Amino acid sequence: MTAYYDYFSPTTWDEAVSLLMTYGPDAKILAGGTVVMNQLARGLIAPRQIISLDRIPGWDTIHMDGAVTFGAGTTYRQIERALRTTPGFTALVEAAGKVGSVQVRNVATIAGNFCHASPAGDSMPPLLALDASLVLYGPDGTRTVPADEFIVAPKTTALHPGEVVREFHVPALPNGTATAFLKFGRRQAMEISFVCVAARLTLAPDRRTCIAARIALGAVAPTPIRARDAERVLEGQALTPEAFDEAADIAMHAASPISDLRASADYRRHIVRVMVRRALELCWQRGATL
Amino acid sequence: MIPLTLHVNGHIYRLQVEPNRTLLSVLRDDLGLTGTKQNCLQGTCGVCTVLVDGLAINSCLYPAQRAEGKQITTIEGLAENGCLHPLQQAFLDKQAVQCGYCTPGVILSALALLNENPDPTDDEIKTALAGNLCRCTGYAKIMEAVHAAAEVMRR
Repeated sequence: MTAYYDYFSPTTWDEAVSLLMTYGPDAKILAGGTVVMNQLARGLIAPRQIISLDRIPGWDTIHMDGAVTFGAGTTYRQIERALRTTPGFTALVEAAGKVGSVQVRNVATIAGNFCHASPAGDSMPPLLALDASLVLYGPDGTRTVPADEFIVAPKTTALHPGEVVREFHVPALPNGTATAFLKFGRRQAMEISFVCVAARLTLAPDRRTCIAARIALGAVAPTPIRARDAERVLEGQALTPEAFDEAADIAMHAASPISDLRASADYRRHIVRVMVRRALELCWQRGATL
Repeated sequence: MIPLTLHVNGHIYRLQVEPNRTLLSVLRDDLGLTGTKQNCLQGTCGVCTVLVDGLAINSCLYPAQRAEGKQITTIEGLAENGCLHPLQQAFLDKQAVQCGYCTPGVILSALALLNENPDPTDDEIKTALAGNLCRCTGYAKIMEAVHAAAEVMRR
C-alpha cells in the first residue's frame, strides 16, 4: 500500500488553489494520474494530500471558435477525437494518438504532460509549433505563459506556488497551415520518445511559398525547443527539397541531446535531421491539398 | 476511512475505504472481484484493465475515490445468466488463453474497441491491445479471437 494521503476533489478552481496554499509542498495535484499514481506506487513520492481536479466544471471542455481552447484536464483521447479534422491540428492529433496505450490515453492529460515537464513529452512539440499558451490560475489570479516558456528545466515549470494550469489556448491558424508530428523510439506504443519532432508550414495561396514555419523538437534538449534558426531559413522562401535539407541541418544544430539509456547524443542528433526533413516534407504534401 | 459508492457490473456497493486506495485494490480486496489482476502497478502491462464509463483504464493507477458515480465493468460483468460473452467464447474457441493472467484485461480492452468499432482492422486491434502484454500466446490467437468475436457481435 502506498503512503497514506488525504484525497480532495475540489469543485472550483478557487477551492483547488486554496487547498494548495493551505497544504503547500506536501500536496500533489492529480490530473490523469498516470505519473503521480505511478510514482506513489513505486514510493518515489509521499504527498500528505492529493488534490484531484477532475470534478471542476470545464476541466476537460474543448472550445473551438477559430481559436481552440481546451481545459487542463483534456485527455489525449479527447484531443484525438475532437480535433481529428480540425485544420492545422494534425500534429497534435498524431502525437496524442501515440502516447502510451489506449488505457493511458483515456485518462492522461496534456496539462499533466506539461507539468511533469519531461523534455520528451510528446504533446509539447505540437503545441510549441501551434504557438500555444497555458492559462494559469493561482492566488494572484490568472496569467498566461507561452508553451515554450512554461517548462524551464527538466521536471521544472514556471508555476508559482499555489498555481495550477487551467487551460491551453491555441490561436486561430492562418489558412494554408499544415502540421506533422513524428516520434522515434523502439516500438509503436508504451514508449518514451528518443526524439520527437513537430513541424508546421503555413503556405501562401500558390502552395509553394512559406509564410510561416515552426519546427519544435522534443527529447533533445533540457526542455522542448523551437529550432528558430531553421524556421527563419524557410520563412518567405519558395519551398524546395534543398530548403528542407538546409532547415533540417540547422535544426540538428539547435539540439543539445544527452546520451542516456535510450540513445546516444550523436544518434539523436542524426535522427533530428532525418525527422525534421521528413516532417517538413509531410507538411508540404499536406499543404498542397489544402 | 471515507464512504465510497461504486457501481460495478450493474450492482451498487457502499463501502468505507481509506482515501489512498486504488480502484484495483478495492475491486480485488474489498469486493472480492479477483478477475482483475495485479502486476506491474505502473500502468504498463494492462492486466488491471477495467472499463470506466466504457473506457479501458489501468485500475492500478486510478484512485478508488475517482470512481464514485461512474459505471465500472470488470471481467465478471461480461457473462449473462451463465452464458459467456462472445469475446469470452471466442477466446476459448480460438485457444487464445494459455496461463490466463492477461486474459481479463485483453478481453476488456477488446470489448471497449468493439463497442466503438464493430469491424476493426488488424492494426486497429493491435492499437487497442497495445497496452495489454501477453507472455504466453504470441498474440496471433488473440487477434483471431477478437476478429471471431467481432463477427458474432455484428450479427
